[in-house]
Amino acid sequence: MTSTPDLESREPLTPLREGPLPGDPTPEPTRHGLAHALRHGRGLVGVVLVGIVVALGLLAPLLAPYSPTEQIRDANLLSPSWQHWLGTDALNRDLLSRTLYAVRADLMVVFVAVPVGAVIGALLGLVTSWWAWTDVIAQRLFDVMLAFPALILGILVAAFVGPGLVTVGVVIVAIEIPVFGRLVRTSVRTVREMPFVEAAQVVGARPGWVMRRHIWPHTLEPLTVQLAVSMSVAVFIEGAMSFLGLGVRPPAPSLGSLIQDGVRLMYEAPYVALGPLVLVVALVLGLLLISQALTEARRV
Amino acid sequence: MAHYVLSRLGSTLLVLALSSVGIVALLRLVPGDPVAILAGADSTPESRAAIRAELGLDQPFWEQYAGWLHGLVTFDLGPSYRLGGDVGDLVAAGALNTVVLTAAALLLASVGALLASVLAVLLDRPWLTALLSAGNTVAVAVPTFAISLLLVLAFAVYLPVLPAGGAPPDGFASRPDLAVQYLLLPAIALALPAWATLTRFLTEALYTQLRAPYVTTARALGIPRRRIVLTQALPNALPSAVTVLGLQVGTLLGGAILIEAVFAWPGLGRLVEQGISARDYPVVQVLLLLSVAVFVLTQLASDLIHAWLDPRIRLKGAH
Repeated sequence: MTSTPDLESREPLTPLREGPLPGDPTPEPTRHGLAHALRHGRGLVGVVLVGIVVALGLLAPLLAPYSPTEQIRDANLLSPSWQHWLGTDALNRDLLSRTLYAVRADLMVVFVAVPVGAVIGALLGLVTSWWAWTDVIAQRLFDVMLAFPALILGILVAAFVGPGLVTVGVVIVAIEIPVFGRLVRTSVRTVREMPFVEAAQVVGARPGWVMRRHIWPHTLEPLTVQLAVSMSVAVFIEGAMSFLGLGVRPPAPSLGSLIQDGVRLMYEAPYVALGPLVLVVALVLGLLLISQALTEARRV
Repeated sequence: MAHYVLSRLGSTLLVLALSSVGIVALLRLVPGDPVAILAGADSTPESRAAIRAELGLDQPFWEQYAGWLHGLVTFDLGPSYRLGGDVGDLVAAGALNTVVLTAAALLLASVGALLASVLAVLLDRPWLTALLSAGNTVAVAVPTFAISLLLVLAFAVYLPVLPAGGAPPDGFASRPDLAVQYLLLPAIALALPAWATLTRFLTEALYTQLRAPYVTTARALGIPRRRIVLTQALPNALPSAVTVLGLQVGTLLGGAILIEAVFAWPGLGRLVEQGISARDYPVVQVLLLLSVAVFVLTQLASDLIHAWLDPRIRLKGAH
């Protein structure tokens, strides 16, 4: 048998498609959630970096070979060795232990003070933006709060309660309240014009219910992005305040105070600042990568 | 437009008024009595009362506030308590130093960003882009105080070519070469984060412009890419970059406080610090109000410029 091409059963010819034709439905860009952004690419790197720093801080009591304030005999400004991985400082203290415990001070600032300020600010913004007169008052108050640079605020708070980690926390809460208050207000203004909010009001929903059910979920995404940005800024503020002597009180360590110690000794002992500097950069970089990944995920 | 401008002006004045009352009240609440500091440890109640009366601190709060406001409006703020000299002179001297430092940083940041982003787009090489992005990350992720101390170590200790801190001893005008030497390190440290933000923004804006249809047309007409970048894309990308630059001014002024502390630069930031620790109310009050004023006026300017650029706001009520 000769094989003749079976012309009849051939599938009907379709025009070659190299791109969308006029009239095609435009493809919906796949929009992944924010959680997806954190499991891939840049976001994942950020999560891993932040995760490592958090783990080091949380496990400090298990990982640290010495107490952070213990003064070890005959261990003045030793270079890194098997005995002291990061060396010792001018007061004979083990730098690895100090660095690990210092992370905890920064974790308090980043994961306690920033969220507290964010929640207070977001709730204030949410509730006050609903009525015109509370909105005006709250926004002017936020303006006033935003007008003080962080360090001036720090100097002021320190004048009241003295330097310390609490002072840093108060300053960060005070900085974040207006930031989140304004952010929430912007989304409330956008969402409340939408038809479904109007519909809810028509059927008699109370303001509290509408806020909880319709407005709040819509403000969550921009809040998450801002949270990551604010957290990275908080690390810097802690560092700067400790640097100016407004932050943790010695002998307690924080990453900022350790870097300050280290860079002052940079000439004789260049290794002192190394560990804390690496951890600060890892923490800030991780948070920045997370915020970039989240921003990108929202843009799609 | 007129209605919008008036309402923005009104709310700016309201914020200034509210914060001026807040500032004066807040300082009275700070623990630590300036009279006790001034009079010294072995003072009698009578001498303290005399000092209190002389400074006007025995008057009710609203009278103190009114007196201060009057002094503010007439530019006669009287003597400082402890820092020595007239408050107006102290603030003016500090403001000059801070403005010079901030302006130098702004200049470095904008020129540096312009050069870096135009060069990156012109050459369009992956290694250069990677290098710039790495530099950007370092400038953003390493704390400013660490960078500034590293700069001091590199250029004042290891390579002793620049002074480690302080202000030029003869002022800025008489020895400009010396002034530049003193200014260089703090200005670089202050400029770095702003440079990073601006460079990233301008590079992205340039690439966005290069994807626009008019660039394709220009390419089709045979105009070389270099000329398109310099004569077409850059002028179109610049206005939005100027807006970003304006937003950086406030950040730079805030950052100047830290840089002034690191480099012992006698500007407003150091004056605030000294003033609060000495409980020198007249000095601190003016400085705090100044910082609020700079912030709200920057906001006002940016709002008004945006309103002017947005015809929906500009033309409202024009008919």
